[in-house]
Amino acid sequence: MITRRTALALPFGLLAPAAYGDTPPPICVVMNSGAASISVIDMNTRQIIATEPAFREPSHWALTPDRKTLYVCDAGGNAFFAFDPVTAAPLGHCTIADPYQLAYSPDGKYLVVNALRLNHVDVYDAASLSLVKRFKAGEMPSHLDFSPDGRWCFSSQQKTNALFSFDVQTLEPRWTVPIGNTPAGVLWLNDKIIVCIMGENGIIEVDPVDGRITRRIETGPGAHNVFYDEDNKILYISNRGPGDTSLAALDPETLEIKRIYKIPGGPDDIEIAPDGKIWIARRFAEAVAILDPVTGEYDSIPVGRSPHGIYLSTCLARKGKLTAEII
Amino acid sequence: MSLDRLFSNLAGYMDQYAVLPILYHFHWMEWDELSFDWCLVCIYGLFAVIVTYAVCLPMERWRPVEHWPDQKAVLTDVFYTLLNRVGVIPVITFLLFYQAQTWFTGWVVDMGFIPPTLDSLVPGLFGHPIITFWIYALILDCADYWRHRLSHSFRAWYALHALHHAQRQMSFWSDDRNHIFDDFITFVWFFVIGLLIGIPPLQFPLLMLGLRFIESFSHANIRMSFGPLEPILVSPRFHRLHHALRAAGRGSCNYAGVFSIWDVIFGTADFSNAYLPTGDAKAPEALATGTYLEQQLCGAKMFFQSLAKSWHALGSRRPT
Repeated sequence: MITRRTALALPFGLLAPAAYGDTPPPICVVMNSGAASISVIDMNTRQIIATEPAFREPSHWALTPDRKTLYVCDAGGNAFFAFDPVTAAPLGHCTIADPYQLAYSPDGKYLVVNALRLNHVDVYDAASLSLVKRFKAGEMPSHLDFSPDGRWCFSSQQKTNALFSFDVQTLEPRWTVPIGNTPAGVLWLNDKIIVCIMGENGIIEVDPVDGRITRRIETGPGAHNVFYDEDNKILYISNRGPGDTSLAALDPETLEIKRIYKIPGGPDDIEIAPDGKIWIARRFAEAVAILDPVTGEYDSIPVGRSPHGIYLSTCLARKGKLTAEII
Repeated sequence: MSLDRLFSNLAGYMDQYAVLPILYHFHWMEWDELSFDWCLVCIYGLFAVIVTYAVCLPMERWRPVEHWPDQKAVLTDVFYTLLNRVGVIPVITFLLFYQAQTWFTGWVVDMGFIPPTLDSLVPGLFGHPIITFWIYALILDCADYWRHRLSHSFRAWYALHALHHAQRQMSFWSDDRNHIFDDFITFVWFFVIGLLIGIPPLQFPLLMLGLRFIESFSHANIRMSFGPLEPILVSPRFHRLHHALRAAGRGSCNYAGVFSIWDVIFGTADFSNAYLPTGDAKAPEALATGTYLEQQLCGAKMFFQSLAKSWHALGSRRPT
């Protein structure tokens, strides 16, 4: 184990294994929540090239603002696992209380972590990973996002059916509003907040100023997470059931459903490869689906139990802030 | 398709089409992340029952220790097994454990301490999941040895555990016949252990089932020992000595659940080459042949009577 400070201080190039002779292949990193492991897939050959251990329950990921480290949350193991974002070479781990989902503030100053089991929204200093503020805003904080100017942070409270917002500059709560049964995915889009409401089979649009709900759209059973394909201007919603599960593609302006892709096995997080294929973690099928959004056909790669978060190293080619939800 | 993947897929279907609709109907969707795990527990539990039945039944027919005119008493044990392995008890235990563990961990974290797990605590263990699994298995089995031994040492506790010992027709179905209060004590016991060393990782459910199989197998009505492995693994002969009429209550032997090594280390092993009748001569008939409810009520009554007796005994010893 490396300590938190050592992990942050060490030049990661020294920790990483010998560099590839040639350019390393693009990789997909899959967080297998039920198998305490992380699968690394060569995106060219679609073969698993490594399986890295975690303590208990790897879930989501974030790239450090300098893009040099990929952090994977392990909530049950109370740890962050650090990886080289290009090769997925493991760089060690450090202790963090119950990290379930996480995101860096746009200015890179803070790392905000939703501790779902412990009912905390924790704000860490991004450089030292020391705890700056702990909010107890509700029960089961699930997903989070920031306003692009970095002023506000929004976190869905899954059990208390609320959306919580705090001021990132003052670290004071702004409001907590009831938004519907079991909110999950949160995304800033077009000056509004999009929140998936699992129990109401769709998404809502929330005014970030006062938390007022401005629109409700039905997308499918158990709408769980939301992603935005910036290049192609498509909003994706993963509908995780009950019953048949799917991925819904929406117009980001009108929120009109353009297409529903039937993806059995509980689609969860998704990423888009440069060839336009959508890589989807299928929670209940121990597999990653690679969907062709044109034909609607998909191939599957078996991974570990309960694949949850998914990261593609090809995202490093994109400009601007990289998050798991902007794909 | 590997067995593990097949079970995951089955659990996925069960979750999507049976469990999630119930959760959504009652607005319990916050458990959506965990319901897949509950389904896995049920699927693996069902598989364990099928495998245990498929292996033990022919062996019980082949080399039985006892022949019984009828097996009515065994039917109740079948109910216990289904309730414990496939039914609601694993889910209730899971929920209780989750809530208690969440509450405690939250409190500890608020105090500024993040609880470790065994593999984060012991240098060199991380990255060796199979070794980690076996270390957890040994620690938990040792803890279970002491829980079991203590349950024979306290009068009130044995009043509950007597339900397990009352069975005169001991078979592979008898492993799960326990009083619900006794199950609760077991839950608290392992909850405390879980807090000390962390909850064991669940990446090897088949290995876990293998250990549970040994526990069921050791209750089977089979004339069998494990030969040179007797001091390591609990065999039907070894465990039968624990269930023998003479060993009911205090002064029993062979308390181990899976690894008999604990009895060797702690001086309670009996490797006699004997297949004795089982049961508890002092137990009321309802405990042996009653229905599930009769057994539970009788056990509860005995428990409270025993507690009262102990309380009076304690009072009479107090200086006046």
